[in-house]
Parts: sequence; C-alpha cells; structure tokens
Amino acid sequence: MHGHRRQALREPSVDEKEQNRQRVEKYCTLNTSVMNLRAQSVFTAPALDLTKRLLELNTELHTVWNYRRTILTHLDTWQDPTERQRVLESELDFLFDIIKKNIKSYWMWNHRVWTLNSMPQADWQRELALVARLLELDARNFHGWDYRRFVVSHMDDMDVAEFAFTTEQINRDCANHSAWHNRSKLLPGVLAKSGNVAEMLVTEQSLVLNAIYTDPDDQNAWLYHEWLVSIQTSDEDRLRMLRDKVAAIRELLELEDGDDAGSKRPLIELVDALAAIDKLEAVAEEERRECLDTLHRLKSIDGGHAGRYTDMLQMLGKRWELVK
Amino acid sequence: MSQTLEDTGHEGLLVDRHVEYVKSLDKKHDEIEYWMTEHLRVSGVYWGAVAVHLLGRSDALDRDGIVDYILGCQNDDGGFGGHVGHDSHILYTMSAVQLLVMYDALDKVDSGKVVGYVVGLQDKATGEISGDSWGEKDTRFAFISLAILSFFDAVGEIDVAGVVRYVERSMNYDGGFGSGPGGESHAAQVFTCLAALAIAGRLDIVDRERLSGWLAERQLRSGGLNGRPQKLEDVCYSWWVLSSLKILGRTHWIDCSRLCGFILGAQDTDGGGIADRPGDVADVYHTCFGIAGLSLAGYGGYPLAEVDPVYCMPVSVIERAGLRKWVDKLPESWKQA
Repeated sequence: MHGHRRQALREPSVDEKEQNRQRVEKYCTLNTSVMNLRAQSVFTAPALDLTKRLLELNTELHTVWNYRRTILTHLDTWQDPTERQRVLESELDFLFDIIKKNIKSYWMWNHRVWTLNSMPQADWQRELALVARLLELDARNFHGWDYRRFVVSHMDDMDVAEFAFTTEQINRDCANHSAWHNRSKLLPGVLAKSGNVAEMLVTEQSLVLNAIYTDPDDQNAWLYHEWLVSIQTSDEDRLRMLRDKVAAIRELLELEDGDDAGSKRPLIELVDALAAIDKLEAVAEEERRECLDTLHRLKSIDGGHAGRYTDMLQMLGKRWELVK
Repeated sequence: MSQTLEDTGHEGLLVDRHVEYVKSLDKKHDEIEYWMTEHLRVSGVYWGAVAVHLLGRSDALDRDGIVDYILGCQNDDGGFGGHVGHDSHILYTMSAVQLLVMYDALDKVDSGKVVGYVVGLQDKATGEISGDSWGEKDTRFAFISLAILSFFDAVGEIDVAGVVRYVERSMNYDGGFGSGPGGESHAAQVFTCLAALAIAGRLDIVDRERLSGWLAERQLRSGGLNGRPQKLEDVCYSWWVLSSLKILGRTHWIDCSRLCGFILGAQDTDGGGIADRPGDVADVYHTCFGIAGLSLAGYGGYPLAEVDPVYCMPVSVIERAGLRKWVDKLPESWKQA
C-alpha cells in the first residue's frame, strides 16, 4: 500500500458502513463466480466478459489473467486470423485503459506482451507511440522502459532512432537516469555502426560533462562517465578522459568555493579519478596526499558515509603505504 | 492521537502493537482490502510470520493452521498458488516453502514435486527462469529458483551456470542489476541478484566497490532509503538496500541509526504495523521489511532476532536448515575486514 495517507481514526457513519458492505459483497460475488467458472473449465464469451469486469476492479489477479488468456485461445474466434486480430486489438484497448490507471502492475504488462506476441499482425509502430505517451506521464517508470525495449526488439534497425530518443529525454531532463541507462545499452551498437567512433566518443563525453556541470551532486552522470572511460580502447584515451575529469572537478570545486554540502560529490569523484589514474600510471606523491586529505575532509562533511571513507582511506593507504 | 509522528522516533519499537497488528490481519473480513489481496495471501502470511519471528514472538501465529493452509495452496504441478484454488507461481511457491521451513514442516510436502516444478521453469537454452508456465522472465525468479532448491538441497538440479550468466547479463554500468538484460538498476533487483549469486557462490562477478557506492547513495536526508536515484524514500528499501550492503559486507557505509529513526517514524502508533513512510497507512509488507531493516541496522532498542540477508528469515532458522554456507562461499577478498 504505497503512498496511502493515514487518516485520523473515527467511526464510519452508518451510510459508509453500508456502502462498504455492498462494495465487499459485490467484489466477492463476482470473484466467486469467476473462480467457479474457472474451476469448471468454462471457456465462453460470457465468462470472458466476467473476467474483464473483475480485472477492472482488481488488476493484480494473475490467476484471472491466466484464465482470460485460456478462454481467448479456446474461443472459435481464435482459429480465424481476421477474427483473432480483431479480438486482440480490443484486448489492447482494454489494457491501455487500465494500464493508465495503474502503470506499475506486472501482470498487465505481461498480458500486453502475450497479446502482441499472439497477434497475426502486430503493429509495433503503434506500440512504440503508445509507450512514448506513457513515458510522458512517468519518465522513470521501469515497466514502461522494459516494455519499450521489448517493442523495439521486434523492429528493425532501431538503435540509432532509440539513441536519439534518449538524447531527447536527456536534453529535457539530464537527471533522467532511465534514459542514461538505456543509452548505455545502445551506445556500443551505435558506435559499431558509426563511421567516426572517435568523434562520437568526444560528443558523448561532452554530453555527460555537461550533465555533471548542471548538477554535480547527481551521482549518475559521474557513473556514466566512469563507464565511458572503461569502454575506451586504449589506456592513452582512458588517461586523457580521466585527466579531463580531474580538470573539470577542480573547476567545479573553485565554483563551490568551500561550500561543503555542494562539494561532497566532486570530492569523492576527485579521489576516484586520481585512484583510477594511479592504476594506469603512478600519480605524484602530492596527489596521493591530496586523495587522503580529501577523504579526511569528506569524513567530516559527510558523516553519514564515514564508514565508506574510512574503508577507502585504508585501501589507498595500503596501496601507497602512506597510512599509519 | 497521543503523540506526534516526530515523537515516535524516540519512542522505540512498538513490539506488542506490531504483534497484535499481525495477528489481527486474518480477521478483517469486513474490509475490501482483505478480499482484494486474497491472491497473495501466502506471501502476506510469510511477511507476518517473519515480522513476529524477528520480534521474538514466533508463537504469535497459529502454526498448525498456517501449515494446513499452505499445504492447501499446492497445485498438481507441484507449485503453490497465492491462495487456495489459485494458479501456481514461483513467487508464492517461495513464500510457501519459506513458511514451511520457518514452521519446521518442510517434510510435509513431496520435495520431488516442488523441485520438479522449479526445474521445469528454466529455459534450458538461455538459463533464464520463468515465473510460471506463461513465461515471464525476471531476475527475481532467478534468485527464487536457487533459494527454493537450496531448501531441498537440490540446487544442482538446475543449470546454475546458466542462471549466473543470466544475472551477469542483467548487470549495468552503475554496478547494479535490473529486472533482466537491458533493465535499469533497481535496489530490489540488486538484492535478488546478489542473493542469487551468494547461493551460487559466484559473488566474484560483482563490482563490489561501484555497487556499494551506488547503494550507499540511496540514503536520503530523512535517513530513509530509496530504490533508485531521484525517487522517494520508502521503508521497504530498508530491506532491499541494506540486505544488499550486508551481503557486500558494507552496512557501515550508511548511517544506520538515522535509518532506524526513519523506520520507527513510519510506525502506526495507534493500530500497530509500519507504513512505507511516516504518516501513511501501515501494511504487513512494510511491517516485515521495516523490522527486518531494523534487525540488519543493528537497532539497539529491542533484542530483535538476527535476519539472514539472503533468505529474509531468522538466522537461527537458516542455520537449522544448514544454509548459512553462503557466508563461507563469499569471495576471499571480501572476507578480510
């Protein structure tokens, strides 16, 4: 029961009690009818209609969704491709209405996948437009994104278009992690097709650095940058990117000008970047010292994560033999 | 109301009220929610049973009644439905088996039938596990299949390497895991993937530093944890995030005492039970994961039973079942403090 506010306790009125009693009775009667028909293996159009009425009241009844699919495949209409197409199209309309009301139900998305997979002629373009509308309502809904990937997997040569879709989402809100995530899954394929990999990677780096400048406190853009470093093909490129990152951090820290709350994330990233550089080519004693000093500073400004900084101090101290 | 919500954080865990709340759940026949949640009753009983076990009141619920009810939910295919007469699903099969283990009644089921049901859900080509005969795939089911089989000492009956490959394909750049290959990282899926790898003895494939760093950032100013960046905190992530950090050996990377304060603030001081966040209506799911979170966070105000971070059951029960061996299978480098 997520996000349901608690009301002050009070005794319900007689009318409210009666309304509630009727609601319970109506639901239980319908539920019992459907479950009885199912137990008797009744696979008819009237039974199908009852499952619809019940599922409109409660989308979470997976047994009833299963029963509904079984009925659909038993009806005469299933054998005729034109009829089957018509029946399943109305199934999609029914689903769209209730998905809008409860976008987080696993069972409805499963049923939609089954419906599309069972159609003689699935209109994937229409599904893509529909899921785009749903993501407009909730840009981070992971069911929506999972479904989008399912739809795209049934279409040809979508990598570049999908990549452009994530650019659009990120330009709208650079903290849309779902879009960044999907981008990371698409980028390798897009690079493989690209005529100019080096140029694309430079563009990608500036996109993520821009996200970092927009909100330095947002961990996600930093993680994406780290990943971008890891997929470079040469240590030379990795070093160059890490050095660019350190320069960007120093610039950010100057802007924050000692504001402890604002500089926490860049400080962690500074340590991570220098430690990563050090794995490729040993950093100077001075920068090692800077890492350890920074971790001490982090412990004092971000006490909630002190355990993490202590572990990092120990790990780097051991690596550099600098700590007592 | 006698106290403001801010005060409840200082009041401590309302043990008796939570036990009474859990006991009352089976009597709310005049409430529509009772009937609307019938399809997952087996899981509801599991959440309630974990709550009272961790509160040290394992005798609060009627053991024989629960065991009989669970046995009545098993179908001919060997799996369990969420209620009597409902279709089998691996989610409810997990809750049913966990309850039978907690009430020491696993010998009452035909182990071969349950094992056969779970083994039958694996795609032999890809290693993926379906939730039921309709074929929905999810990393949750990967964990559940290994967990159920482990209770029957039958993990070797499925292609474990295939399950591990599937989990590995679901890993993302932030070190986390999604609902499947391509899915965005989400703390609950992170838990299921880590728990699956723990049982398989393959946590070595995890990027421990990166994932621990991502999980540590799930704590918000309120002390509560969220499941993904930029999302609201919610008591259930006290379990999903902290159990993951526990498996990674990194619960000290967040501020556990502030987390305890957040969970306690979400208690219903009148009716008992814990909600998703302060001021909301309590439910048994958040009551279970709130109390389990307090146990993992080392809450000092009450002697809670220790919870196992892989199975979400009391450590004493998991030891009795001989399943704490996942601890011995941790990567060597993780074992050093």
